[in-house]
Amino acid sequence: MSIEATAATALPAETRAGNALRSVARRIEWRPWTAFAALLALWFAAHHFGWVPAKYLPSPVAVVQRLIREVTAGTLLHDLHETLRRNLSGLVIGVAAGLALGALLGASSLVGRIVGPTVLAQRQTALFAWVPLLAMWFGGGDTGKITFIAVAAFQPVVIGTWRGISLVPTTYRELSDVLLLSRWNYMRLVALPHALPMIFTGLHGALIYAWLATVGSELFLNISPGLGGRLNEGSQLFEIDLLFLVILLFGLIGLGFNTLAERAEGLLIRWNNR
Amino acid sequence: MNAPFSAPVPSIATALPALDIRHVSKAFVVDGKAVEVLADISLSVEAGSFVSIVGASGCGKSTLLRLILGLDLDYAGDIHLDGQPVEGPGPERSIVFQEHRLLPWLTVEGNVGAALLHSGLDAAARRRSVAEHLELVGLEAFAKAYPAQLSGGMAQRVAIARALANRPRFLLLDEPLGALDALTRLRLQGELKRIVAHEGATAVLVTHDVDEAVFLGHRIVVLHPRPGRIAAVLEVPEEARADRSSPTFVALRDRVLELLGVSLGEGRAR
Amino acid sequence: MSLAETLDKPAFDTSPRDGAAADTAARRHTRRPGPSRPTALGSVLLGLSFPFALLVVWWWAARLGLVPEQILPAPATIYETVSSLITDGTLATHLEVSTHRVLVGFGLGAVFGLVFGAAAGLSPTVRAFLYPPVQAVARVNVLAWMPLLTLFMGIDEPLKYVVIGWSAAIPIILGTARGIENVSPAFRELGRVLHFNTRDTLRLVVLPGAVPSIFAGLREGLANAWQTLVLAELFASFEGLGYLMTWGRQLFQLDLVIIAMIVVALAGLAMDLALRWVERRAQPWKRETRDVH
Repeated sequence: MSIEATAATALPAETRAGNALRSVARRIEWRPWTAFAALLALWFAAHHFGWVPAKYLPSPVAVVQRLIREVTAGTLLHDLHETLRRNLSGLVIGVAAGLALGALLGASSLVGRIVGPTVLAQRQTALFAWVPLLAMWFGGGDTGKITFIAVAAFQPVVIGTWRGISLVPTTYRELSDVLLLSRWNYMRLVALPHALPMIFTGLHGALIYAWLATVGSELFLNISPGLGGRLNEGSQLFEIDLLFLVILLFGLIGLGFNTLAERAEGLLIRWNNR
Repeated sequence: MNAPFSAPVPSIATALPALDIRHVSKAFVVDGKAVEVLADISLSVEAGSFVSIVGASGCGKSTLLRLILGLDLDYAGDIHLDGQPVEGPGPERSIVFQEHRLLPWLTVEGNVGAALLHSGLDAAARRRSVAEHLELVGLEAFAKAYPAQLSGGMAQRVAIARALANRPRFLLLDEPLGALDALTRLRLQGELKRIVAHEGATAVLVTHDVDEAVFLGHRIVVLHPRPGRIAAVLEVPEEARADRSSPTFVALRDRVLELLGVSLGEGRAR
Repeated sequence: MSLAETLDKPAFDTSPRDGAAADTAARRHTRRPGPSRPTALGSVLLGLSFPFALLVVWWWAARLGLVPEQILPAPATIYETVSSLITDGTLATHLEVSTHRVLVGFGLGAVFGLVFGAAAGLSPTVRAFLYPPVQAVARVNVLAWMPLLTLFMGIDEPLKYVVIGWSAAIPIILGTARGIENVSPAFRELGRVLHFNTRDTLRLVVLPGAVPSIFAGLREGLANAWQTLVLAELFASFEGLGYLMTWGRQLFQLDLVIIAMIVVALAGLAMDLALRWVERRAQPWKRETRDVH
């Protein structure tokens, strides 16, 4: 209930103005930012007053300077490009495979019942437990990394697609029976539209896991151009400004992917409910 | 019905009405615009009587109950109970909602007992009151059951027992039987009438079922919608309350339906 | 790792409730596809048939020498390695180390997550100030923080407890806060009508209403704890199941890697089942929902 109650008599003008002000204040939510600001202030202070040895904590200024240096030298953009290339390659492969298997599991109840439990059980395997195995099968280079990312993206998509298609409510199924829909038309008109939100949820998960796997693969597998390589470099050479810079970038990219997915999902849901 | 507890006798009504609603108006703000839901409602109810409020959906019936309950204090006008203004929920008022609103994690007796937590009674007295009221609604055998194990009619009876457990002097009923099937509804209407009479509470029923309003109420208040306002107040003769097929009942029902804008002529003519 | 996001999305939830719903759907209607099963036994057999078939193919291929040992060791080899790992106690030691880490980390994360989540769920002010930053932090996976944390904490046990606890806490915070926040307003209103004080409201309305969401958070947190354990042990460790994998990889002993993977999965599954059991015990009103009338 988001309706505000007021007395029945016509609203006094100042109340209306007050409401308008309050609603603007509500739209520009400032309070969450205080935590970020406090953190930044703490960082400045900790550096300035030497609470933490400078070798562990660079000043925010140093991190920004490092960013400028890396960008002008072109190194950072190259690494970013490599990392994103791997991430997207793995993502595309994993999502395509997940959609195909998920649709198969959902479309045929027999296949679903035979293979489904194995797919669910496989989800229990911690994602990173795949790293050593895939490294031995595909090597620690690009192939191994992209395969790992694809495995990470595959899991949520296959489950989302499968569930979405198979959990169509009985009422819709009965309706399709009454309308004598063929299996193909049932998939096209009933099952897929119904599954769309869940498929999108799966894609959202894939985006997150794939990014996690991208970071992980660059840390755990062979060192190669990419942000993870720079992270290793920063930590091994004790270049603390580089380390902070890369961590911030990892975070921001992850945040970006997430926001993107949420926006897309929001749009889709609105479109679906039209 | 001669249970061991005594009920206040309705006829000892004092000059002061038990519930007095004077010039109550209420508006909601939706998208920055004020929408009036109740306009200048005035109504007094004497102690021990049963008032039915009928109207189409959107006429503000439920809002009026919320105001009497004290859940919402933001309105124009006055509501007095025994001469005291309403300043919030109080133990002398209770309500049965349209959905039974039983807490799913408490057993039947736990749900009824929840109404007595701050009644000032000791544990034994509370247990006794719970048992008595479950017996009153005929569910003593289901004291240990969870709400999910009950049918809709049973759950609503538990809700009625919960509303009565604290011996309220005012019982507010917000379409209490609206979610039930027609047969269960008819059966529970009879039970509700018996129970309310037995407890001697002053009752305000909100409903859109005209038969129910006539069968249960001493008086019927007909509301017109948008904004909700009183169109008519009708006395219900004892004869109509006693027998659903009596000519008085049918005549009164038709009169209410007409006031609500339902045309009866066409169906009969053809 | 915070797979916290997945909490918003019950699509990955494999809870029995979904299964039950699907069961009823499938029972009513068998022609259309469904993930579930007319009879329990039949579905178990069908579900096992696939891994069993894989095993047979694997065994056959190994026997005919179709797959080199370096790519996939024969089932017999795996069996031998497992037996020797069990008899000399190696497996038990590593399993114990890993389980201990998960339990400590998860315990820390759960306590923090429940307290903070409850605060955020109960107080709109706490929520407004701290919830978005927590969500932002949740979205930066713990893996990225690890090199930084290493600088401060070294690579010993504290690091592992912190990263495991961290990854476990996030879904627990979100689940608890959301559970409390989403307690039905109708029940809150009922509390007002029945004159509940704050304690009654917490005990009778808020807490029981939030239980399902809290448990969803706990289960997600536990899964995260196992994920992060493997991560932390791959990253820096000299014992534990993750270390067993790294060691197997370095020795080119694929059997060790595969065994460790399977044990991790089984241990995670066992703990998840235990948590589900607790969840059922915590909600007796959900156990017997058959009609009695």
